[in-house]
Amino acid sequence: MAWFDFIKRFFGKKNKMSIGLYGNPNSGKTTLANKISKDWMGKEIGSSSNIPHETRTVLKEEKVTIKEGNKELDFDIIDTPGIATKVDYQNFLEYGLDEDEAKNRAKEATKGIIEAIKWLDDVTGVLLVIDSTTDPLMDTNITIIGNLEARKIPFIIAANKIDDEKSNPNRIVSVFPQHTVIPISALKGKNIENLYKEMIKKFK
Amino acid sequence: MEELKMDFISSDALENATSMEKIYMIIERVKKGNIVVMDGGLTPAERAELIETTMREIDIDNFVGVDVHTLEKDSTSFFGFSKKKTVVITIVGPANLMKTVKKQSNFLSMVANLNKSSNDKINLMDKIK
Ligand SMILES: Nc1nc2c(ncn2[C@@H]2O[C@H](COP(=O)(O)OP(=O)(O)OP(=O)(O)O)[C@@H](O)[C@H]2O)c(=O)[nH]1
Ligand SMILES: [Mg+2]
Repeated sequence: MAWFDFIKRFFGKKNKMSIGLYGNPNSGKTTLANKISKDWMGKEIGSSSNIPHETRTVLKEEKVTIKEGNKELDFDIIDTPGIATKVDYQNFLEYGLDEDEAKNRAKEATKGIIEAIKWLDDVTGVLLVIDSTTDPLMDTNITIIGNLEARKIPFIIAANKIDDEKSNPNRIVSVFPQHTVIPISALKGKNIENLYKEMIKKFK
Repeated sequence: MEELKMDFISSDALENATSMEKIYMIIERVKKGNIVVMDGGLTPAERAELIETTMREIDIDNFVGVDVHTLEKDSTSFFGFSKKKTVVITIVGPANLMKTVKKQSNFLSMVANLNKSSNDKINLMDKIK
């Protein structure tokens, strides 16, 4: 065991898994990152909000281990800012932000999106979080999937918010039949064990 | 704005352009308020690059980003069952202009809102494969 630990530490850096949470703003990436981190580390990573672009810089939680029977998976969680093709500060006004706050949030959001895209070079696995109450064929989802495929980065689609009555995870399955789709509720923890099982299978 | 300008670009015109040239050609036109309709698609790397460039070009009061829509067709694989989708048309327009988009597997309908303050909408395009 000591030897094993030594070897693991020695090669650890090179073999380190970084699992990125990617998706549109508000799809529930930070809520899921918090759920994973709470379940296995006992603490949260970042703040979630119903206002889009809550996460505007990449958040990292290092050395998370999830276990399933005798199998385990060690990785860093990389929670990324939601990727969008547009950022309009006026949308934030509807949530009660004043004009300066809204403009500032928009500016930070554009930088965050660039940072999220850059991180595609460094992640070794991805959880693509799609809000199952929305149209999955958004250009951003297709762009993210295309880039993951081109770079051969393994990924799982988390069809999130299945606790919502407008949720339709089957639509996600039907538009991405060649990919692994796991319906979950990050907020309520619904079906999250299935996601952990699949993560060990896919990323180990 | 009362006018709507649409630029149609054939794949020949893009063939010899580098990725950056393609992306700037699109962004420059969209920033002027034009809608760009392209024959074919961009590679995944180019699509990511288009988002990055858009984020750098966003200027809070004048340009809030783009909307990208594609129309695909099934390309039948060697074994006779269709698996991959190929993009036949890519549409990139200013985000504050393109209002409603209805998309089905082989049908795309868009409405452009020319004047944000009024309900003056025109039906821009109905395209059937
Ligand atoms: N009903 C429901 N709501 C959820 C679920 N997961 C997240 N939400 C809500 O969706 C909103 C957005 O959640 P976030 O976790 O902040 O989303 P995000 O993807 O990190 O968003 P950005 O950081 O802006 O990209 C919040 O109001 C969450 O409470 C879920 O499983 N069910
Ligand atoms: Mg977030």
